[in-house]
Amino acid sequence: MAKDITIFTTNTCSYCGMVKRFLDMKGQSYQVVNLDEHPERNQEAYELSNGALTVPITVITKQDDTKEVVVGYNLGKLAPALA
Amino acid sequence: MELEKKDYDLVIVGAGPAALSAALYTSREDIGTLLFEKGAIGGLAAVTDWVDNYPGFAKGVAGLELADAMRAQAERFGAKIELGEVMKVSKEGNMVKLETTSGEVNAKAVLIATGSEYRKIGVPGEMDYYARGVHYCATCDGAFYRNKRLVVVGGGNSAVQEGMFLTRFASHIDMLVRSNLKASDVLVKELEKHKDKITVHLGVTTDEIVGEDKHVTKVVGTKDGQKVEFPTDGVFVFVGLDPNTKFLDGSGVELDERRLIRSDTRLMTNVPGIFVAGDVRSGATLQIASATGEGATAALMIREYLENHEKTSTATVATLYGEG
Repeated sequence: MAKDITIFTTNTCSYCGMVKRFLDMKGQSYQVVNLDEHPERNQEAYELSNGALTVPITVITKQDDTKEVVVGYNLGKLAPALA
Repeated sequence: MELEKKDYDLVIVGAGPAALSAALYTSREDIGTLLFEKGAIGGLAAVTDWVDNYPGFAKGVAGLELADAMRAQAERFGAKIELGEVMKVSKEGNMVKLETTSGEVNAKAVLIATGSEYRKIGVPGEMDYYARGVHYCATCDGAFYRNKRLVVVGGGNSAVQEGMFLTRFASHIDMLVRSNLKASDVLVKELEKHKDKITVHLGVTTDEIVGEDKHVTKVVGTKDGQKVEFPTDGVFVFVGLDPNTKFLDGSGVELDERRLIRSDTRLMTNVPGIFVAGDVRSGATLQIASATGEGATAALMIREYLENHEKTSTATVATLYGEG
């Protein structure tokens, strides 16, 4: 299980809902940062994702405190990152 | 993750409007139904800002809200949606075998409702700046362009609809249309109301997306044989749709010249037991309303097929449905 998961989302992003659904299915808890409500955190999302201008951005902190960032709804990367 | 159950009456590939409509009908009739979705539940409808032409919503409805309602309705009757991808489909005896990211699954019948995805332009720079200045989903990524300049490429319904959505954020939008606007008259009239923010450039090709220091800076195109440039912070591309049928390569399912799936009047493909509905079907009208209608029709045809499947041997099913 991941130590911490944060998803950067917006109000109109359907793929953000898919990431949440996937994490729910895996029994993983997560925090949500809605960038429409917290635009001051745009820069943080931008830097974490190495310049991506898209959501969802999922930041997975593993038990050893290493971080993995998954840009977009990408099951091929999300699933192994949770392992 | 492997699925616990391996054999289903019906597996639906996709979970867009056609798929969810079919799943609603089949689940309600206790036909064990499993859907596989590799993208967004609700398909392109879920990433469409606003839907004005789906019956039952006098004031229109947000695409995401409509998709979520369809999902909830199908799940209410027991449809199971697996988040994963079907990589291969093949007919084995009177069953259909599916190789998926969740393992191998067998089904008495399969409905393909994989829809389409937005087409890439295929110009230099497009993939270099993918998600970092080049986008295909306005509702996902538009909010990153508050008070910035944008280019929208395309002149069909999606380009116009999503371009208007982007005016919520962008300071100005250049819409580059290769020939003429092909959007519906209603949308073109709506577009007129946004002329303070959207400038439509007809007869302009998009040749290159240029950037500096990880940021898109301009789009280079051609008009009347002359090079033209459009300074911008980002590009949204809506130049048509490509059907999601690659996973059918080698399956024997017949496609047309555009790689859409051919079907008969029962919405069955040339492979008995494999049905098709929605945007991925050759001849589909690419409307959410028609997709849900096709989903319902396919469900009824599948029910009939399954009734015969139950009653008969492999050989008889083959005879009934022209296999072999």
